[in-house]
Amino acid sequence: MKHLNWLFLLLCMPLFAAPDGKALYEEKCSACHHFRGQGGIGLPLSPEILAQVSDDYIAKTIRHGRPGRIMPSFQKLSAAQVSAIVRYVRSWTGKPGPVFEAARIQGDAGKGNVLYQKHCVRCHGKDGSGEGAGTGVTLSRERSFMVMPAALNNSGFQKSASDAMIRDIILSGRKTSNMPAFRDKLSDQEVAHVIAYLRTLQPPAPRKGLEEWVGKPAYVMESPYDLETTVENVKQALAGANFRIFPQRYLEQGLTDEFSMNTRQVSIRFCNFKELYHLLNIDPRLGTVLPCRINVLEQDGKVLVISANVAQLATLFNNQELSEVGVLMEEIILTVMEEATL
Amino acid sequence: MRICVGICLLLALALPVQADQTLVMARSNAKAAHVMDVLKETLPEYGYSVAHVQRCDGGMAEFDYKTDFYRVVFFGKVEEVRRILARHPEMSPYLPLKIAVIAENNETLLAAMDPRALAPMFPDDAELQLQLSRWYNDIQAMLDEMRQLKK
Repeated sequence: MKHLNWLFLLLCMPLFAAPDGKALYEEKCSACHHFRGQGGIGLPLSPEILAQVSDDYIAKTIRHGRPGRIMPSFQKLSAAQVSAIVRYVRSWTGKPGPVFEAARIQGDAGKGNVLYQKHCVRCHGKDGSGEGAGTGVTLSRERSFMVMPAALNNSGFQKSASDAMIRDIILSGRKTSNMPAFRDKLSDQEVAHVIAYLRTLQPPAPRKGLEEWVGKPAYVMESPYDLETTVENVKQALAGANFRIFPQRYLEQGLTDEFSMNTRQVSIRFCNFKELYHLLNIDPRLGTVLPCRINVLEQDGKVLVISANVAQLATLFNNQELSEVGVLMEEIILTVMEEATL
Repeated sequence: MRICVGICLLLALALPVQADQTLVMARSNAKAAHVMDVLKETLPEYGYSVAHVQRCDGGMAEFDYKTDFYRVVFFGKVEEVRRILARHPEMSPYLPLKIAVIAENNETLLAAMDPRALAPMFPDDAELQLQLSRWYNDIQAMLDEMRQLKK
């Protein structure tokens, strides 16, 4: 028994060791922010940006993410793991991050609104959403700036950024996003007013899919026709909705030999390349759910027409622009499925 | 024995549950065409068959849209697909599984849906929940291998 205890202790040692920030960063962050913070889908973590933000801000950003703006929230990482990532990111420049007071700065939001409309609205937008979707440069999308103006109305930003940090950035500006320094343009009191206004900004309410399908993985409709007729109906309805249809496949095709393949499970794949190109520019990770397809399955004497719940699926990307498209696509796909099963 | 129980309790508290993601992603230093070749060799090592490869870039190029290497690999195990679709035909849009392979200059991004994102939609099927976790583990392990590829 004594040996067993020691064995347990030995096996557990790695779990109590300090987390490896580099390994965690490479696993959780590098796909979007690149191996050394060069950026990609995610914001470049450039020396200038790192010099402007506190460790607390980075840690809270990891925790809260940016809802609807690609950056996920990593709620399940332990405090030690988050700290390890922050330390690793800091090691790139070898300089400690600034420390800001957490106290709120008092200002007049009404006066701040006037100043915001004059100095900030051109880049940060009327409602503070920033320009376009996402938080950084993407693979193929043309942007006006190397780094997108921050979505000031985002709840993740609001929870992560202290007033003092926002004040510092307003005063200093940010070269990578062409943000001018306002040190000589605004007084301390005026900056306080702007910050008070920023704290009133709210993100727009997201559009949601149809209530009856919320929480379901797929749209499922029963067809009154046989499998072959239903397949043809789906194809006709898709063509009518301006989709290009690929040669049909069986669901099991490629997974087993052609003699044992179930030929009563047909997958109809379709695409609108113009839309696809547009959507891939919004979020290149869309391929994880491509291509669009409607399956027709004969099962237990029924013919079922099934498509992924695209409104639900689009939310996986934490990209508000894509979620909006998901809601629109839901309408189109449900119309096609209804037409095919009428 | 008490020490063992104590350690187990501590472990249960210390181990974070890593399920707050909806996509599994990795960046590889290697070029996309190479990553794609290695991935196709790696999938059978994990017991999966490559069902087919969707050339999204080819389709877009056909319509004169400029795009870099962009492919989607479909893969699966036929017995798993059959077992799950028999109980849940609504899972058919998610099968076979897939991984997108996307060129980013001379590097490659790999992205897949985290199968565990579907788990809350099947709260009463413990077997499926387990299967979703197994798929996640395999996808994560394969993507980790792709991340280690050299230029």
